Amino acid sequence: MNISIRMIGIATTFFWIFIIIFAATAAYSVKDLQFNFGDPVTSMTTDNQMIFSMPINIVNRGLYNIGYFNITSKITDSNDVEIVHNSTVVPVIRKGEEITVYHDLAMNVTSMLQRYQDYLFNDSELRVYESVGLRLAEVIPVQASGNFTVPWGAPLYNLAVGTPQFTPVNLTHFRVSVPISFENHAFFDLSGNLHVRMYSSSGALIGQGETVIDAPQHSQYSGSVEPYILMNQITPTPTNPTGYFTFTIQTPLFTYESGRISYG
Amino acid sequence: MVEKKKEPKSRLRRITVNVMKAIIKSVIFYVVYYFLWTLFAPASQFIPGLQTMFETFFIIYIILMIVGELTNGTIYHYFFSGAKTLFVISYMIMSLGGGIIGLSYENISLLVDLRLFVVIAMLLGTLGLAKSVLQAINFMNEKAEPHLI
Repeated sequence: MNISIRMIGIATTFFWIFIIIFAATAAYSVKDLQFNFGDPVTSMTTDNQMIFSMPINIVNRGLYNIGYFNITSKITDSNDVEIVHNSTVVPVIRKGEEITVYHDLAMNVTSMLQRYQDYLFNDSELRVYESVGLRLAEVIPVQASGNFTVPWGAPLYNLAVGTPQFTPVNLTHFRVSVPISFENHAFFDLSGNLHVRMYSSSGALIGQGETVIDAPQHSQYSGSVEPYILMNQITPTPTNPTGYFTFTIQTPLFTYESGRISYG
Repeated sequence: MVEKKKEPKSRLRRITVNVMKAIIKSVIFYVVYYFLWTLFAPASQFIPGLQTMFETFFIIYIILMIVGELTNGTIYHYFFSGAKTLFVISYMIMSLGGGIIGLSYENISLLVDLRLFVVIAMLLGTLGLAKSVLQAINFMNEKAEPHLI
């Protein structure tokens, strides 16, 4: 019996020493692990996807490999509706290794703005959920997570369309000036076309005009579209025109079509 | 007469040996504590109260070990050995919260999953407890054995 007891004792001591040394060295290795999160780089793909690419430099000078390094990002709107979600996984970071991974987040701004037109006109907040996980010594799972909000700036903030001004240019034509203004609060520049269609009170298209808009980020745009209209098409009289007009803002990122706006 | 004179002497020697063993073991465990704390210290900046947890554990463990060593040669030695093992198991469960350590700092939360370690420690603790019980049984058994006159 003494031998059996002694053997149990030796085995237990051996395993205790092993587990304690392993735990201690794994904890000590945390000191030699470095994560450097670089500044995100924004780029645009041909299919209008906005890519946020965040470089992460990982230096593992610890005693063990790091297993299953993963980073997950999720962006939701203020109502917790998911806008974009992506994960980047590095299966193993070997000891002594230094790697740089790029965590990409592809955001389809076009789709987002088409689906939720509220983002075109109103500033809002987007919720960002970030989670970083890894396995210390490929055995001990560790996860850090956090959430924060980022402001969303509307590209057509405070969009205002003024009353069309009819000015006779000759005996047959009127020049109509439709003033339009907005503030681009978005993080991207806005350039595209503004197209205005004028209709008579009977619904007939009487004229249309187009202008180029260019509003860099965080700037105010103020301009006008000036279509020409034949006098005899104006109803009921050229001095008292009535009808409605519509306009379209077309940019590489989104297309916005207004409803009917009455004049006269 | 000779037998009567020898008995207190051997008892004194046994007590001296026990005290010496207790002192040596305490010193060794203190060195182990010091060494382990040096390794765990970097993690203490993420886990508040880790040092207190460590110190409390080692103080109680060393006390139980000293008392166990002083009672060596009696059945109480095995009782204290068992108590030491039970303390290790219960302290692990209590301090590690079942193996998942969760910490929060501002709006960032950190989660460390040590369940595998806790399970292994539980198994080793149970094995240690079984050893203490077997030793106690063996001790009583040896005491009860008839001696040749």
